Amino acid sequence: MNDRPELFRGNRIFLACVYWAFVLYVFVPLILMVVMGFKDSKFIGFPIRSWTLDWYTGVFADAEVLSTFGYSTAIAVLSTLISVFVGIWIAVMLEGRRFWGRTAVFGMTVLPALVPGIISAIAFRIYARWLGIEPGMGAIVWAHAVHNVPFVVLVVMARLSTLPRSQIEAARDLGADPLISFIRITLPYLVPAILGASIFCLLLSFDDFVRSFFLGGYEPTLPVLIFAKLRSGMSPEINAIATIALILTAAIGIWAERFTRRMNKET
Amino acid sequence: MTDQTPLVRIEGLSKHFGKVVALDNLTLDIARGEFVTFLGPSGCGKSTTLRILGGFERPTSGRVILDGEDVTSQPPEKRNVNMVFQDYALFPHMTVAQNVAFGLELKGMNKSAIRRRSDEIMSFLELESYAARYPVQLSGGQRQRVALARALAPDPSLLLLDEPLGALDAKLRGQVQQELKSIQRRTNKTFFFVTHDQEEALTMSDRIVVMNKGKVEQDGTPEELYFRPASRFVAEFIGETNLLSGRMRGTEGDKVVMDWEGTTLLGKAPAGLPAKGEPITASVRLEKLGFSVERPQTANAVQGRVVGRTFLGSRMAMQIAVGEGNALLKAYVDAETGRSVGTDPVWIGWEADNMAVLNN
Repeated sequence: MNDRPELFRGNRIFLACVYWAFVLYVFVPLILMVVMGFKDSKFIGFPIRSWTLDWYTGVFADAEVLSTFGYSTAIAVLSTLISVFVGIWIAVMLEGRRFWGRTAVFGMTVLPALVPGIISAIAFRIYARWLGIEPGMGAIVWAHAVHNVPFVVLVVMARLSTLPRSQIEAARDLGADPLISFIRITLPYLVPAILGASIFCLLLSFDDFVRSFFLGGYEPTLPVLIFAKLRSGMSPEINAIATIALILTAAIGIWAERFTRRMNKET
Repeated sequence: MTDQTPLVRIEGLSKHFGKVVALDNLTLDIARGEFVTFLGPSGCGKSTTLRILGGFERPTSGRVILDGEDVTSQPPEKRNVNMVFQDYALFPHMTVAQNVAFGLELKGMNKSAIRRRSDEIMSFLELESYAARYPVQLSGGQRQRVALARALAPDPSLLLLDEPLGALDAKLRGQVQQELKSIQRRTNKTFFFVTHDQEEALTMSDRIVVMNKGKVEQDGTPEELYFRPASRFVAEFIGETNLLSGRMRGTEGDKVVMDWEGTTLLGKAPAGLPAKGEPITASVRLEKLGFSVERPQTANAVQGRVVGRTFLGSRMAMQIAVGEGNALLKAYVDAETGRSVGTDPVWIGWEADNMAVLNN
């Protein structure tokens, strides 16, 4: 009995060490990347002799970077709207219903999330050419939307499965037809799930490289632009762009997570 | 209110779920302003009846006539019937006032009329001070009242209540029972109440329909059901009772004579008389048995020995072994009598009118 607390304590210290080692492993590259964005020199690496904000002011003065940012955002918003619309539709069709071929429909719905990015990108490219879709914004939005639908379907279905049947019956009982009860009862109930799924889709789309690369026209998305800049040589400007993107996405992600958690608690 | 035609006519209603018969050829009328309770164990068909009346299930066969109109195939939103759900089903993203106004909005009433009606119903149920709250901010009893207000607001001709007291604790339940009954009287609405709790049914109803396996076992006032159960099922389901298994011996006037544990007993005859020598069962309530040292003057008297007693506060539950000791009777007596009875043989007596011979 006496040596057990000792052992337990040793275990705890060991586990703590492993944990912090992991955290370091994950965060050191990010920290280095952020730090290098403030270095007053064209070459990335230590030692850092002087600091500057020039790379950041450079980013905000760079018309190409700014327009790319806008372009990526537009693609993210459009593809998310489509994914959410289609995703809710499919989720409502699948959840709590039994029909012939349901499993097949579900499998096909989830498939785009499981296919490796490079394969789906090539497939989209071939398909787009076959259909006569020009590379560019439309093609990218289409590919992102298809890729993101499964996430919306899964999140919305999970939420929908917790909606008590009596809620819809009560609405019908009080005079709402099926459409009105969907709009006034089901949709509000789904808001936290829809919001969470939307943010996730926005981030996935904003972050996507492979599909955007294969389906893009002359105008690059942000990840494609960063890739192009990397090929012409690493410069702290890229660190500055990446840091801004990191902060924005992290902020949106954390806000969304907290917001949906609060909403879930309320209902 | 002088309309004598029944509000609801249920004609030959059946509902099958696959091979399971949930409801078997139910026919009955519900009068206007009546508080009728469907009582029975789970799976007896009471909830199926309620759901068919609400429009949530289609019957396999039969018709439902509401206020002279055949509503059998009408969806719930078209019927002038509202329901208080077991889990209340309040809309979590709406305030109390919005919940109450929901049905009025869908009736297409204008804003001021909605406001007037929901204020009226909320003050009637003493909910004014909660109008701006959300359902999560309310207690169980308050939620139940909101559910009631929401269902009453559109002025339905029939109100369905699906075990609405199940989620409340015992003390609150008693209080809400009184409240519900008084609301029903004051609104003069027809209440269709479903429960498996016989005490609840006895305290509130004008009329109780006892259901078993999709069929009506008995349909009557609480008093009729309690004192004149028509079947063994009803006798056992409502209140506590002694069931005496004996043999038919004959009749004496309008009474049945039965053999039981070496004595003959007199009881009220059932609807269909069993043949002589057939096994029969009789029911006598625990509080109808009297104790005495001498042989009592009652129509029925047996001698027995007290083998167990349980103190229940105001009264005592006694267990008496009768005859060879194979038969056990249970009786309620006041606590003093209970204590004074020793282990010597005692006489147990009861009147013929207090014993109902049952159809098995």
